[in-house]
Amino acid sequence: MTSRNTIKIHHGSIVCEESKLRGDITIGSNCIIHPSAAIIAEAGPIIIGDCCLIEEQAKIIHRLPFDQSDKENTPVLIIGSHNVFEVDCTVEACKIGDNNIFESKCYVGNKLTITNGCIIGAGCRLTEEQTLKDNTIVYGRSCQMREGLDRPVPQTLQMDTLSKMLPNYHHLRKPNKKNQ
Amino acid sequence: MSYIIGSDVVRYACTCGILKPISKLYFCRHCLEVRCGFCVCHEVDSHFCGKCAENLPSSEARLKKNRCGNCYDCPSCHQQLTTRAATVGPKNPEDPKATPRKVFYLLCLLCRWSSRDVGIPDQSAVSGGWPERENIHANRLQEIQDMYKGIVLLDKQQKLEKDKKKQRRYMSFTDRTGITASMLRKRVGLPDIPHPLLKPKPKEPEPAVAKEDVEELPEELLTKPVNLCEVTTMEQRLVQPEWQPITVEKLFPIHKQLSVKRSQRCRSCEHNVSKPEYNPNSIKFKIQLFACFHIPEVRIVTVEPLRAGKTCELLLKFSNPTQHQTVITFLPVTLEMEETKISEQVTEDKSVVDDYLLEKKQPLSLTGTGSQPSSLLHASLSRQPSITVKPRPIAVPVVADITIPTSTFILPPRDDAAEYDDSGDTHNIQDDSKLVIWRKSNKAVVKLQVTPKEDLKIGDEVVAGFTMQHIYVNTITTVDNKEPQKCEHKVKVFVTLGNLVGSE
Repeated sequence: MTSRNTIKIHHGSIVCEESKLRGDITIGSNCIIHPSAAIIAEAGPIIIGDCCLIEEQAKIIHRLPFDQSDKENTPVLIIGSHNVFEVDCTVEACKIGDNNIFESKCYVGNKLTITNGCIIGAGCRLTEEQTLKDNTIVYGRSCQMREGLDRPVPQTLQMDTLSKMLPNYHHLRKPNKKNQ
Repeated sequence: MSYIIGSDVVRYACTCGILKPISKLYFCRHCLEVRCGFCVCHEVDSHFCGKCAENLPSSEARLKKNRCGNCYDCPSCHQQLTTRAATVGPKNPEDPKATPRKVFYLLCLLCRWSSRDVGIPDQSAVSGGWPERENIHANRLQEIQDMYKGIVLLDKQQKLEKDKKKQRRYMSFTDRTGITASMLRKRVGLPDIPHPLLKPKPKEPEPAVAKEDVEELPEELLTKPVNLCEVTTMEQRLVQPEWQPITVEKLFPIHKQLSVKRSQRCRSCEHNVSKPEYNPNSIKFKIQLFACFHIPEVRIVTVEPLRAGKTCELLLKFSNPTQHQTVITFLPVTLEMEETKISEQVTEDKSVVDDYLLEKKQPLSLTGTGSQPSSLLHASLSRQPSITVKPRPIAVPVVADITIPTSTFILPPRDDAAEYDDSGDTHNIQDDSKLVIWRKSNKAVVKLQVTPKEDLKIGDEVVAGFTMQHIYVNTITTVDNKEPQKCEHKVKVFVTLGNLVGSE
């Protein structure tokens, strides 16, 4: 499996060397990937957009539901830009738009499609097949849903701090792709 | 920590018959009984807001309907709302000197509801001055309230007049001496100034009118799919009974409910068993008679696999929380004989009291002062209980027998410095080596034999019980009793040992 790892990192991204990247992964520019984050492209390539923040212990797994696994064409997991994957979240969604926040310890199953501006609250487990509409907020023990007024604000301040701090203490993977 | 203290593997029987872990029990030093949250009087000491820690007197709290004036809860998920700051452009963008203004809005950090969601304008001050909503039925509710207040006053007045008619024969002392304005008016023959709320007949508000034509059921409820993101949930409606919003646009921040500090009082002797400090910022207590400060704590160390009818070893650790040495004796636990035993105890107590009375009377009669011995009795430590709480039988299935050891063991007093003392244990306590197998400072591990009953099935929970008798040193001093008193206190302890495994 490791031999087939093809990882493309666009310019300006900070990808720690200890992070676990498996399979065919393309990372956009200005992303931050923490040391023990895991991105596993099992069923097909993963393409991550710009300015995504993937924190410690976050897991992004591209795995297909069992009933679709024997299809001929390999699906691609496309993750939009400005997404935040907080500590210890597990995301297996088959499509993710822009400006979403996956809070700590949440779980998103592989039958879900996440659009834009959604917030999956801390500890929420979503497994049923559904498409989350724009600006949906999932919160609480029983995963209540409500519609937000606007997209969550991007975490630019946090990203700036991290991009200064992380290179001081960690070995980084070199960006190997130039921006077009 | 919680798996040691919070678990209810070892439970103590409260005087009222409820089993609880020691961390949830109180120990009344005055009647020397274990009390729990169910058998003490709870009293509200003070009202305060849990967010801003403001202390409110109870009258003000009632006026504000037990809610804080400044803090808000989220109407969507009922968590606290936090104030967030945002910067907006200056009022007149043409002026180059104008600095950007700061505005504040409310935000819920759990569900991300914000006051902007429902169009509440941002405020320019941190503390807000958020718009209050007027209940449309406020006038009607006030009218009804006033009416009932009037009725209560009228009732009182009528009762007073009834009493007056009976007593009018004589001039009372108060009429002659302490003359109040109202009395003077009465004597001169002027009518009394009526109470502002007192009217000959309380004004009745308009009665509610039954309406026949109600709104038709909107057809779209049946034809259109419901968007659950727009309607409110039952909880969201019921938390605001005055408005009961149906759609999420009508959710407005709720004033935060006040918390109370309460003190617990023993029901039999009316002494406090727990009293917090008034200051809402303080987490300390003025009085804290928690059982874990007075009664030896029991923990299970290990137990051999439990098999029906087979004897197995049980190791229990005892620790003494008090500053006095104690002796622990095991006694069998009795569940059925509860009632008779108590009545026996009562008669015994009575005889003791009688003896005491006799003793007191004799020297008194000799001196010939003739003072009341009963008052002396009251001054003694054993205060007469004002309410007798009848203990209930303990409802727990004890399915294992513990062989009660005949020997006792000593627990030295607790010494907080012992932990840092490396000199080793220098105690020379003669222990029954069959019973006590380990000892360190104020702790000791004892070995007991436990036998689950024959008729248990595999997987059944095994509960065993014993009565622990310990010497309790009461340090309360009274007028005629300066020395700390030693007494034997018994408490029933039930240990849940786990499930029965196969009996080979």
